[in-house]
Amino acid sequence: MHPRAASILDRLSPHAHRAGKAAARLPLGLAALDTSLEGGLTIAALHEVRAPAARDIGAAAGLLFGLVIRLMAQTGRDRLLWVTDPAAGMDAGLLYPDGLAQYGLDPARVTLVTPVDLQTALWATDEAARCPDLAAVVLHVQGNPKRLDRVATRRLMLRAQTGGAMVLILRQSGGEEATAAHTRWRVEACPSAPDRIFPAGIGLPRMVLTLERCRTGRTGAWPVIWNPKHKVFEHGQTEPHIDPQISVDRPAASAHRPDRADPLGGVMDLRRTPGRRAPVGAGADGQECTADRGP
Amino acid sequence: MVKSAQRIVAHEPGAQALGLFLDQKLGDARALIPTLDVQPAEPHADMALLGQIARWCDRYTPMVGLSGTDGVMLDVSGCAHLFGGEAALVARLRAQLTGQGFTARLGLADTIGAAWGLARFGEAPVAPPGDPAPLMPLPLEALRLDPALVTSLRRLGLKTIGCLAPLPRAPLTTRFGADLLRRLDQALGRGEETLSPLLPPADLTAEKAFFDPITHADDIERSIALLAHALIPMLEQRDQGARALELRLFRVDGAVQSLDVEAANPLRDPARISALFRQRIVGLAVDIDAGFGFDLVKLAVIRSEVFPGNQGDLVSGVENADRYEALIDRLGARLGPERVRGFVGADTHIPERSFGTVPVTRLAAGTAISPVGAARVPPVTRPLWLLRRPEPVDTLAEVPDGPPQRFRWRKVGYVATRTEGPERIACEWWRDGRAAPTRDYFRVEAREGYRFWMFRHGLYAREAGVPRWYLHGVFA
Repeated sequence: MHPRAASILDRLSPHAHRAGKAAARLPLGLAALDTSLEGGLTIAALHEVRAPAARDIGAAAGLLFGLVIRLMAQTGRDRLLWVTDPAAGMDAGLLYPDGLAQYGLDPARVTLVTPVDLQTALWATDEAARCPDLAAVVLHVQGNPKRLDRVATRRLMLRAQTGGAMVLILRQSGGEEATAAHTRWRVEACPSAPDRIFPAGIGLPRMVLTLERCRTGRTGAWPVIWNPKHKVFEHGQTEPHIDPQISVDRPAASAHRPDRADPLGGVMDLRRTPGRRAPVGAGADGQECTADRGP
Repeated sequence: MVKSAQRIVAHEPGAQALGLFLDQKLGDARALIPTLDVQPAEPHADMALLGQIARWCDRYTPMVGLSGTDGVMLDVSGCAHLFGGEAALVARLRAQLTGQGFTARLGLADTIGAAWGLARFGEAPVAPPGDPAPLMPLPLEALRLDPALVTSLRRLGLKTIGCLAPLPRAPLTTRFGADLLRRLDQALGRGEETLSPLLPPADLTAEKAFFDPITHADDIERSIALLAHALIPMLEQRDQGARALELRLFRVDGAVQSLDVEAANPLRDPARISALFRQRIVGLAVDIDAGFGFDLVKLAVIRSEVFPGNQGDLVSGVENADRYEALIDRLGARLGPERVRGFVGADTHIPERSFGTVPVTRLAAGTAISPVGAARVPPVTRPLWLLRRPEPVDTLAEVPDGPPQRFRWRKVGYVATRTEGPERIACEWWRDGRAAPTRDYFRVEAREGYRFWMFRHGLYAREAGVPRWYLHGVFA
């Protein structure tokens, strides 16, 4: 077929296009995660990263920048467009270029867009998703705005599929919401891995990734470490891998009350989000990272 | 209130016949004519209107300046022939101003001073080039002199410029000061005087006048495309591309609307220029008010740069419209160029001052923030997020210089399990004064795993006041 005709066909039918580009995936470099994702995150797609509380924004941005850095290395595109909804900018503050540089991302490659409202923010994201020079477009929103609904996310998803840039939604202090995103990650902070040279100090940034929703693969929860030096994700513990099914936070049945009430939510729900854990601060022993526990 | 009385600052043309004059007390005027219709003076509104007229005059020449509080000065050198000569230009300007409801006095002469005098005191508006004769019968006020000086000259019998011009210069200067001859020289073209234009003159302009005023958005778009096409040969001739463009729409009733767009790299493609203006129009908060239509559209290149000549990329098949620079232009046109920004660094250690953002379109090559030693990977000491301003936290810490142990931020309590620090950042005494407190920064990890950047603002015992703790950033 004539290449031009092929490109027109691709443009006309997003499904055919998707089939053609299905191979382009971004492996995270961790066997367990990549198995669950069937080879990695689809590059030309929409993904959502969620920080349940405002203070998790650091960890969520940690995952996001890790993905972007790996994406830049893999695809050779080296620009990031960061669109901030005005509501989100107040709470989180500003991106700190020195911090970005230490994390492994050249701040000169970041372009910040600060629209007046969410509608123009969506327009800007939509427009940017078409650009073949961008590695990724990030839309930073606060909470669960009505305007960012299934239709709007579906639109972003289609744009990402045709344009080839990864579109990421960074949802700050927002709840779970059904969107058209390929995957949805919940990211929470986790005590850092001890540093070998300076055990009393703070080690490499560690966070717990919970894959809450994934269109193609399985869900699960994994503690991961970002290594800014080698620009790779590493497993968050020395144990090789814990099956996500086992790492489900199940309160132990006590001896005198064997028939305790089931936790709220159906069985389906639990299976879809096996990594759900007790709210932060509820654990009396101070060990919040359930995924850290061995079987 | 002028000199402790309400006075007349302007009156209708025929009012002198009734005994009214400028600077008359309002009480006296009312005594003469009890039914006098009086409006309070609004100097600011007058200036705004004058500015509007000046912008409208841009259709005759790009060099338009304000002359005092009551006039507009146009430099029509090299423009008059476009309107059929100087007399025709003046006649046309008068007709158009009258059509808008203004009464105007016009003067056209070789120098700024002569034109000023001719407009205010002259009989015929146009002075022939190189001939000072029409200036001679004008009164001395036409020289823009101090009123007291005019009075004293008048007492000596010097009433017109013609009386003053042949007199010996030295005695005049000794007696009346240098200002008199300076003004005379400026009027006669012997002294320098420059016009400061209201708007910076554009590098290149293309304009199109319409016999029938246009109102439709489609017509405006089409004319933008036409004008862009007209600009291209001129840009090519200079080997340049446009970085900033301005579109001016001249409405029939004298109002002028201007739209500007900026581009991230030099532009020469008419389609992209019109696309930028289309985005700009869509992004306007208020639609363009066409009124009775626009009769002149002017497209000007405000800033241009050397055109690199590599816009076309035939190999990769990626269209120009998709490139990063084109995206920046589109976003800037719709949202405003100041809403698309990139980081720049500053030479300071105070975190919130160490960086800033500027519009990408003004980010010249080489001024972008430099990454911290690409080869040498530093340990993570700076957070990903910096709060807009450091937030005070209630902190329990060892006195005088221990790290925080427990703290409360945004109504949530935290227990610090690991800390690193302090990293001392001294104040900038040359900016904040010598009394500004030192900051001791700590990286703090809470038991839940949150990593924060906190600092103690001040030193115990060595600096004044009780130091307070602040939280300044959030790490990954």
